[in-house]
Amino acid sequence: MNEAVSPNPVQSPLHEPAGGAVAEKIAVRGLNFFYGQTRALKDVTLSLRTGKVTSFIGPSGCGKSTLLRVLNRMYDLYPGQHAEGEVLLDGENILAPGLDLNLLRARVGMVFQKPTPFPMSIYDNIAFGIRLYEKVAKSELDGRVESALRRSALWTEVKDKLNASGLSLSGGQQQRLCIARTVAISPEVILFDEPCSALDPIATAKIEELIDELTDDYTIAIVTHSMQQAARVSQFTAFMYLGEMIEFDETNKVFTSPRDKRTQDYITGRFG
Amino acid sequence: MANALYSGRRRRNFIWTILAYAATAFGLSWLVVILATLIWNGAGGLSLDVFTKMTAPPGVVGGLLNSIVGSLIVTVMGVAIATPLGILAGTYLAEYGRHERLSIVIRFVNDILLSAPSIVVGLFVYQLCVVPFGHFSAIAGAVALAMIATPIIVRTTEDMLNLVPNTLREAASSMGMPRSLMIRQVAYRAARSGIVTGILLAVARMAGETAPLIFTELGNSLFSADPRGPMSSLPLIIYEFARSPYPEQQKLAWTGALIVTFAVLSLSILARVLSSSRGEAK
Amino acid sequence: MTATAIQAAETASRPMDRSQALARLKFGDVVFRLMTQFSALLVLVLLLGVAVSLLIGSWPAFSTFGLDFFISDAWSPPKEHFGAAAAIYGTLVTSAIAMLIGVPVGVGVAVFLTELCPLSLRRPIGIAIELLAGIPSIIYGIWGVYYFKPVMQGYVQPFLIHTLGAIPGLGLLFAGPPLGYGVLTAGLVLAIMILPFVTAISRDVFETVPPVLKEAAYGVGSTTFEVVGAIVIPYTRVGVIGGVMLALGRALGETMAVTFVIGNATKISTSILAQGTTISAMIANQFADADPGLFTSSLLALGFILFIITFIVLAAARLMLARLEVKAGR
Repeated sequence: MNEAVSPNPVQSPLHEPAGGAVAEKIAVRGLNFFYGQTRALKDVTLSLRTGKVTSFIGPSGCGKSTLLRVLNRMYDLYPGQHAEGEVLLDGENILAPGLDLNLLRARVGMVFQKPTPFPMSIYDNIAFGIRLYEKVAKSELDGRVESALRRSALWTEVKDKLNASGLSLSGGQQQRLCIARTVAISPEVILFDEPCSALDPIATAKIEELIDELTDDYTIAIVTHSMQQAARVSQFTAFMYLGEMIEFDETNKVFTSPRDKRTQDYITGRFG
Repeated sequence: MANALYSGRRRRNFIWTILAYAATAFGLSWLVVILATLIWNGAGGLSLDVFTKMTAPPGVVGGLLNSIVGSLIVTVMGVAIATPLGILAGTYLAEYGRHERLSIVIRFVNDILLSAPSIVVGLFVYQLCVVPFGHFSAIAGAVALAMIATPIIVRTTEDMLNLVPNTLREAASSMGMPRSLMIRQVAYRAARSGIVTGILLAVARMAGETAPLIFTELGNSLFSADPRGPMSSLPLIIYEFARSPYPEQQKLAWTGALIVTFAVLSLSILARVLSSSRGEAK
Repeated sequence: MTATAIQAAETASRPMDRSQALARLKFGDVVFRLMTQFSALLVLVLLLGVAVSLLIGSWPAFSTFGLDFFISDAWSPPKEHFGAAAAIYGTLVTSAIAMLIGVPVGVGVAVFLTELCPLSLRRPIGIAIELLAGIPSIIYGIWGVYYFKPVMQGYVQPFLIHTLGAIPGLGLLFAGPPLGYGVLTAGLVLAIMILPFVTAISRDVFETVPPVLKEAAYGVGSTTFEVVGAIVIPYTRVGVIGGVMLALGRALGETMAVTFVIGNATKISTSILAQGTTISAMIANQFADADPGLFTSSLLALGFILFIITFIVLAAARLMLARLEVKAGR
């Protein structure tokens, strides 16, 4: 409903064939990351295409979650962690000092491994983020909450208990609530950090479906342990190993004709 | 041979077991004895007079009204000082300063204050709030009580905030929520019942505290609600009347003791119920 | 403006709006952070304040009497001569008696709670012990003077005088008339008071022992007390000592329970049945009536000495408990 007046490129979906010349939303150039003295990312370079899903795969400890947490600078919460290199969001380096992290994170949302509903009602879980940045009338707020819940396919399940605690929902519902909460503040990029690892197969299927539906409007990066999931939801796949970006290409290329021996070993189950 | 050794071990185990049982019986019997004597001596004196009449000189029928009101006023003032101070300091230790070296020092100092003798705290507050003004006051008493309560609240607030999972903090930050909002709207909510438990325990501790009031609040045989002057308080009146030679004052001391103990124990039980219901909700 | 117009304007200028909204929040963010920092520093300042203000207040006494203040047991307000020895002595002796009885019993109860007690009773007994710890000290005082003192006077002290008091040498400790009031009575009331502290901390500390360690010991056929003696106590030794020191800190500074039953005599006696005093009892008894000047200063000096003693004990206790936490957190 807003698309007509929105100058925001994210709001106007791009319908280009996969593999075509698609705009870069985020470009990572020569990124190194350190936990204290330990180097966890080594000279990583890749780009996230606008309106596409990119999945990060690799064995545990390969740095895929670390990479994800650089994209919204979540690591800044902890002392002793720092990143070097360039991460360009629409051409602006988000690693630059003086950048407002809250603004960055409002543009780059994140959904976590475990569902993290806030200890408040379902309604407030979503309204909270909206009210943070905007003064909205109650009626409009109601509408925004509803549309966020519809967007995350949760509306029919919770519309009669919006005042119930977010913690009273099932794990899968909680995860969709977290997605709704993220969508409600209209970010441009959404990062998913193994969003289904705590969920059963049915809930997982719903989340994957949802990610698919969000693709048109958001640029998405997803860390996953499951190669099947990567194959199902993403258009691009990055394979990482020991902190290095081994292979980054269209998903079907990575899975059908990997260029690197290590990628092939991983996707055929030799290690990991 | 092996059997003899084994029976010796069994015998030793038996003796130690008996001793542990005896220790427990011994320890618990004091609770029973103390509560029994309190009820035995205090319950008889419970009458409407206790709650409606002022403390009186010997020979006149008196009550504890001024002391009860005084205790309530001073405790409320103490809580009003200690709660914000304690929660804020605990927040610093758990959130902003979690990895700072200064926090280690403050945590250590807070733990010392947590068990510092209350009479020393009283002397300090005497120097701080009585000497400069030249007279005893309920405010000084409240400051002394607040100094005793603050470390308890700091400690529980920090502990409870530490139990809030980091992913919740990350989730809040990932929405672009400024840190202070994250703490106030998300972390405090998640830790709420634990923090309230800490405050209740602190109130329980304040309600029975006597030593630091002797030379801060002084006590007052008349009714006074003026915090700038001396005020009566239950523990002080117990201290005074328990040493009185007059039976009616001694009786009031016991009644006061019963009221104080009842209040303190109810608060601690309430705090425990609150924290255990939180445990079940998890 | 119509609702749609507002909405449109809002959507259009969202990036701007966000930074404006944030600028508003930023001020509160900084203020809140500074408030927490200030409060935390205030805790630090309070402890320094206690030390400094007591030192200032006690300076006249220290400078007048010098070292004599610590070794003289003369306490005479009319002559303006004050010595802290009797009070320090009483504080140490009552605390020693309290620890001698309270620690073994308290640890015994903790062993019972963690190793022997049926699960269904564990919680109620644990709560009862914690409630005992929550009873205000003035209650112990009034109970001590009306109930415990007569029992001591009528039964315990005469018995001690006739048995232990008759032994040459040791008898000196149990000499004198059975007054009821006295160092022993105060020490015993303190023992009852600290018992629940010792139990509560020992129990928490015992629970840090990894179950697998205990299971391994039971697995080779150890009895309960062999497990406690060989596994639980060695593993938690530092923590138990820390807990004991915390209880000691409590006993050293306890005022109300002691004041009622110690007799408040400023002299040092060899007999633990004799009346005595402690630092805190002296302050509680005399402060309200003290003249400003040397008398008040001497009482503040007593407070300063108590503060230093308890600070050292409590600091040691915390360091030991912290060492156990590191071990348990490994």
